[in-house]
Amino acid sequence: MTNTRKPVRILASESAAKVIRSELSRRRFLSFAAAAGATGLLAACTPGGGTSGAPQPTGGALEDQLSIYTWGDYDNPDVLAAFTDELGPTITLDSFGSNEELISKLVAAKGTSGYDIVVPTGVFIPQMIENGLLQELNLDLIPNLEFMDPAFLGRAWDPDNAYSICKAWGTTGFVYDKNVITRELATWNDFLDAAQNEASGQTSVLDDPGDLTGMYFWANGIDWNTTDEADLAAAEDFLVNTLAPNIAAFDSYPGGAAIPQGTHALMQVWNGDARIGILESPDPDRWQWVFPGPETEIWMDNWALATGAPNPEAAHAFINYVLTPENQLLQLDYIGYHTGATGIEEAAVAAELPMLDLVFFTPEQIETMREGEVNDAQQARVDIWNKTKAAAGA
Amino acid sequence: MPRFALAVPAWAWLAIFFVAPVAMVVWFSFGYKPGIFGTHANDVLSFDRYLEALSPTFFATFLNTLWIGLAGTALCLVIGLPVAYWMAVKAPPSRRGLLIALVMVPFWTNFLVRTIGWQVILAPEGWLSTLLQGVGLTDGPLDILYTRTAVLIGVVYNYLPLMILPLYVAFDRVGNPLREASKDLGAGKWRTFARVTLPLARPGVIAGVLLVFIPLMGDYITATVLGGARGNMVGQLVASQFQTAQNWALGSAMAVLLILVIMVTVALGALVVWLVTLPFRSRNRLVLGDAAVAASDAAVDDRELQEVGS
Repeated sequence: MTNTRKPVRILASESAAKVIRSELSRRRFLSFAAAAGATGLLAACTPGGGTSGAPQPTGGALEDQLSIYTWGDYDNPDVLAAFTDELGPTITLDSFGSNEELISKLVAAKGTSGYDIVVPTGVFIPQMIENGLLQELNLDLIPNLEFMDPAFLGRAWDPDNAYSICKAWGTTGFVYDKNVITRELATWNDFLDAAQNEASGQTSVLDDPGDLTGMYFWANGIDWNTTDEADLAAAEDFLVNTLAPNIAAFDSYPGGAAIPQGTHALMQVWNGDARIGILESPDPDRWQWVFPGPETEIWMDNWALATGAPNPEAAHAFINYVLTPENQLLQLDYIGYHTGATGIEEAAVAAELPMLDLVFFTPEQIETMREGEVNDAQQARVDIWNKTKAAAGA
Repeated sequence: MPRFALAVPAWAWLAIFFVAPVAMVVWFSFGYKPGIFGTHANDVLSFDRYLEALSPTFFATFLNTLWIGLAGTALCLVIGLPVAYWMAVKAPPSRRGLLIALVMVPFWTNFLVRTIGWQVILAPEGWLSTLLQGVGLTDGPLDILYTRTAVLIGVVYNYLPLMILPLYVAFDRVGNPLREASKDLGAGKWRTFARVTLPLARPGVIAGVLLVFIPLMGDYITATVLGGARGNMVGQLVASQFQTAQNWALGSAMAVLLILVIMVTVALGALVVWLVTLPFRSRNRLVLGDAAVAASDAAVDDRELQEVGS
């Protein structure tokens, strides 16, 4: 704090200069400059400057580090190690349990999070772009994009893949212990019913506002993106007062410990995580995976670049590296999610990977999957999730 | 150099890393959350966040936390007191260094890893469960993980050294001569402990209780790893407001309330202890009459004379 102050010199158009002067307190400048670099600052201040502040990667030398903020246990460690061996950058991994958690960290850091690659779910991307949390990809540096199935590119939230590339997609279902629940469960209604009966106090749900509230809407045939206040109030009433007392844990990754250790009898779970858990269980026959009707979720997680990424070259090199068919198959084998690569189902079948019915879905099943939305009800869903968590502990 | 200069680093540290952040939290707690991607705004100030935090849904978590805090501290005291007494008084002096080291050993391992260790032990498929079923002590798999009991086991394990160490130091300071004097004057073992050792070790007891209770109330890791939904604590509530809900205003209000709950509990606890021990203290008081005062004056005179003489 004792450094002598050096005046900051900014070259700007006359009209912009006035605004910059009044807008720019020293503190703001520091946080902003760290985020965007001096050039980014100028770009951001000119009208239509956009949000992509950090220097665009041009395919130069790779940095020696790479920091990835992603979902838990979401990359094959062999692929990560091979990337470091072949191309150099050391990878730091950090994980989150919900998109909200990812966003809150990026928002709080204002571009200084230090993360390079982040993996948001598609529906959150438009608002993340709008709020300057993501920066554009340089697709010239990702030629392996050609191995991707076009069906999983150009989605509504990012039509040109300017900011994101499909990493994996999957759905939400549940797993139950056949020793505890002896009847057959098939729908979200069955899940909610069993949670209040046989599996009361032995049920875990995803630690994710969308999936928690979604479960109620899917079971009751209501659009899970509803912004209708009566629907949301009904969901809150059911989840907080009826379901919460039966919930034993909010666990986004039961496959990591709860299924192998037999902690719970009924678990809401993402399909790939369910596969990991059942494969690792000492007694796999005990567990039943259910792809629940009448409706459920479809989500797609995407490789994206955080604003202010300190290692953009390495980040692009990594995304490109992962997209090769061999690595895509390794990833699928480990995480148990469809990665969106062309011909991956055939490759997986040819490689005789286990439990592929939890990875690939029939067209009829895909028809019942609904994509989420980030809309006006977002805050209400987070509030319901908060209250349910508090009520479950009471 | 003025004398206060030595304290400047400490004050500066306190101001920058304690007063300023807490002041910011208090300030945020009067604000609100402006929108999905905003974390806090303070252009309208109100107590609304406090009302929200005190609503029945969240207040239950405060009560839960208080229960775990009080029970955990009490258990630590009950377990730690005999251990510390034994270490300071009964154990051979040559072994004391080793014993203290053993108490400290768990601290060399990461807090989170130690707690996850308990998750493995307490799991229904874990070795403890298998062992208990094998011996025939329980019928079904162990049903402790993700309950308040699991959190209690975890906090007692994690915070016990913080109770034992100050108690050990306090018991050690009392010293053998006073205990011997008490015995010489006819007090039994228990009477000596209750009337001499324990009252003199009081600062250690107070330090231990505060060292355990205060961080325990704000604990977040133990409850997250072992508590599941049932062992929910305020620390998690605050963390989820900051991390997931991005509602810094509500999170701050909860944090401020937690501070208040801790302060009020400590004050009430002190009051209760003061009231309970009041009769003992009044009985203990030795009133020195005029004769005694005169005698002591004489004694002082004697000593002075001796000093002059020697």
